[in-house]
Amino acid sequence: MSVFQIIFKRLVGLVFVVLGVSVITFIVSHLIPGDPARLIAGDRASEAMVDAIREKLGLNLPLYEQYWLYLKGLLQGDLGTSIRTGRPVLQDLLAFFPATMELALVSLMLAILMGVPLGVLSAVYKNKWIDQIARTISVMGISMPAFWLGLGLIIIFYGHLSWLPAGGRISQGLPVPPLVTGFYLVDSLLAGEMNTFYSALKHIVLPAITLSFVHLGVVSRQIRSSMLEQLSEDYIRTAKAYGLPKWQVILRHALPNALIPSVTVLGLALGDLLYGAVLTETVFSWPGMGLYVVNSIQALDFPAVMGFAVLVSFVYVLLNLLVDLLYLIIDPRIKEVG
Amino acid sequence: MSGHRIYRKLWLTVFASALGFSIAMPGAMAATPKDTLVIAKSSDPQTLDPAVTIDNNDWTVTYPSYQHLVKYKKGSTDVEGDLADSWTASDDNLIWTFKLKPGQKFADGSDVNADAVKYTFDRLLRIKQGPSEPFPAMQTSVKDPLTVEFKLETPFAPFLYILANNGAGIVNPVVEKAEGGADKFLAGNTAGSGPYQMTKWDKGQSIQLERNPHYGGEKPVLDKVLLKIIPDASAQRLQLQNGDLDIVAKLPVDQIESLKSKPGVHFEQVPSLLVTYLYLNNKTGPLANLDARKGVSAAIDYQGIVEGVLSNQGKQLKGPIPDGMWAYDDSNPDFKQDLEAAKASFAKANLGKQNLTLLYSNRDANWEPIALTVQANLAALGVNVKLEKLANATMRDRLGKGEFDIAIGNWSPDFADPYMFMNYWFDSEKGGLPGNRSFYSNPEVDKLVRKAAEISDQAERTKLYQQAQKLVLDDFAYAYLFQKSEEIGLRDNVKGFSYNPMLDDVYNVRDISKE
Repeated sequence: MSVFQIIFKRLVGLVFVVLGVSVITFIVSHLIPGDPARLIAGDRASEAMVDAIREKLGLNLPLYEQYWLYLKGLLQGDLGTSIRTGRPVLQDLLAFFPATMELALVSLMLAILMGVPLGVLSAVYKNKWIDQIARTISVMGISMPAFWLGLGLIIIFYGHLSWLPAGGRISQGLPVPPLVTGFYLVDSLLAGEMNTFYSALKHIVLPAITLSFVHLGVVSRQIRSSMLEQLSEDYIRTAKAYGLPKWQVILRHALPNALIPSVTVLGLALGDLLYGAVLTETVFSWPGMGLYVVNSIQALDFPAVMGFAVLVSFVYVLLNLLVDLLYLIIDPRIKEVG
Repeated sequence: MSGHRIYRKLWLTVFASALGFSIAMPGAMAATPKDTLVIAKSSDPQTLDPAVTIDNNDWTVTYPSYQHLVKYKKGSTDVEGDLADSWTASDDNLIWTFKLKPGQKFADGSDVNADAVKYTFDRLLRIKQGPSEPFPAMQTSVKDPLTVEFKLETPFAPFLYILANNGAGIVNPVVEKAEGGADKFLAGNTAGSGPYQMTKWDKGQSIQLERNPHYGGEKPVLDKVLLKIIPDASAQRLQLQNGDLDIVAKLPVDQIESLKSKPGVHFEQVPSLLVTYLYLNNKTGPLANLDARKGVSAAIDYQGIVEGVLSNQGKQLKGPIPDGMWAYDDSNPDFKQDLEAAKASFAKANLGKQNLTLLYSNRDANWEPIALTVQANLAALGVNVKLEKLANATMRDRLGKGEFDIAIGNWSPDFADPYMFMNYWFDSEKGGLPGNRSFYSNPEVDKLVRKAAEISDQAERTKLYQQAQKLVLDDFAYAYLFQKSEEIGLRDNVKGFSYNPMLDDVYNVRDISKE
């Protein structure tokens, strides 16, 4: 299958995924007992007032009609208006999405930078002390709650050492860099504002470490097991028999092959990072989507919750596509098989 | 062996670069700027439109941005003129005439006049959302540029007090010309004549208020107020401790205790009018029986709840009207746990083996320990209580339909009048969500509280409300637990702070200075 066929197939699939997600979230959010109109009007409002608000929001229409209106908007790229904030959902989400994405990407980079060497080392020194330490780190990473680790880091690096800030994206008083990508790290460099860049860097360190910790464990375990598999293959034995240096065999021959299955894990991890950052965002006052969505759920803000689900599933499918394309690049065999 | 070396090198590099990185960065700790007051908030405001918001969390921004015809006196529930110089009410309490102070200006320099007042109230009643709820049907008319007249269709005694509400903030009519219309503009901006105006809102990060150069009152000391959004309480505490915040409210008790010993920070305990009480279903189910309600009321360990759940940050209620609100009756006895009396009442009620359901939600962290205490108190008397923890919206639904026996509720007054307690809680026409959550009905009480809402003589009204209070206490309509007090954490260099129990989450920023 050619690259274009794969892309085309995925894009067609994307339409159905988004459609499916919108149907399911629509049904689920409307099944929850509770009345958003009542929430807006307040506990003490009269029925007449609640009815008026319901009518204004279109909540008095039959369900299928409400969904049809939503779908019509969706096809034109309109995610509706938030019940809670009165602003367009897309505008709200786009204000918070880059912050979440930036944090997720930096965390993923950290997880790879630390996880891959850790996995390689623990495969090479299987059951030695390095492996034990790596295993301990993995288990800790997976089982330690983010709010606990995050708070611990804040107490040490902000509370005691005063090296790093306690939260936010940049220091108060610094101007927000002109919007290009929405990533402060990138935008500040593009604008040549080094102070802003340093500030953004300082602010992202602790939340990124916290968020990457879970995936650090997953990545290193994945690399370890596929490395072990590769190291027992014949071609490795051959390479060794030719007298190639040990680390050349490991890094140049075994590792690239061991990375292939890890690409899938990493792709999924990025998806996880996108919607799994709520706790980290809370602890570090990180202005991402997580908090916005939690607040929206509590306020029964259907359009916002559905907009979030649609956006994340959209990004998720795109990520999967990216992973598949990466596969083609690092493993040419797939092209023939597929 | 080479592996060990590589490993060591790798970690040394990571460690060294981390160290170098942090040393190269200038210290993160810094006191807040001298001309700026920095206040923590747990979440972004939702909307800034005075005609829409009913959430105190939004009022932190809106209240100091708008002026009102009348305002609360410092720390009190009494009101005095703000934009209004003087006012009169007709004998039948239907026509209220307000004279405005001359020379008051909006932030854009235009005059605050009778037209702006009319515009504000017409808009409020046209939009007809939460903030318009306490307002009676009325006509607003302009008599001359500085005189405005309200003509009420029915007499409404608390009228003067509702004019100090957040929703009655006078809006600059120029917003009609804003791009996208007034509603859209006001949701995300301020357009008032208050001491400060919002100048920047970085969603999820911070909100900046700056001094209104045209403000007609006493000039505020500080140039700016910065509201930092910090969702996590521990992070708020650390930042107050390190001097990155000037004021933090609503910290959990354990955080307050650990902060009290730290230098540079002190706490002010302020009384609030936020009360916590139990709705007892008077209409259906086992508690429709007076003796059963009497039993529940006598079984509860009131003092234990104030000590154990609140850590004494509050005090017991003596009835529906809390201390600090006029018509509070100090002569009422304290509620006390009396297991013998409770047992006798339950025997008389003959409940049999019925279970009682108790609803609560995660809206208030105190509710769960209260629910557990009440359950244990009643279990000791052989009454089985089934706890149901619900999402807040779901719980509201059940409350509205009256599908519960006991439920926990919080209530705070929207305007400084006992009407907020007596008429809302006991008027049989407000059954369910509007306020009478116990579905209490007593024609005699209806008559008393409705009368009290029509006449303007405060002494007479106090008498009527206290009379009604005696009746509802005898009927055990609710179980009255406590009114909370708040602890506000302040840096020591912050001066001039005062709290108004009517304005939770609102700070008197105009009067605050920093040393």
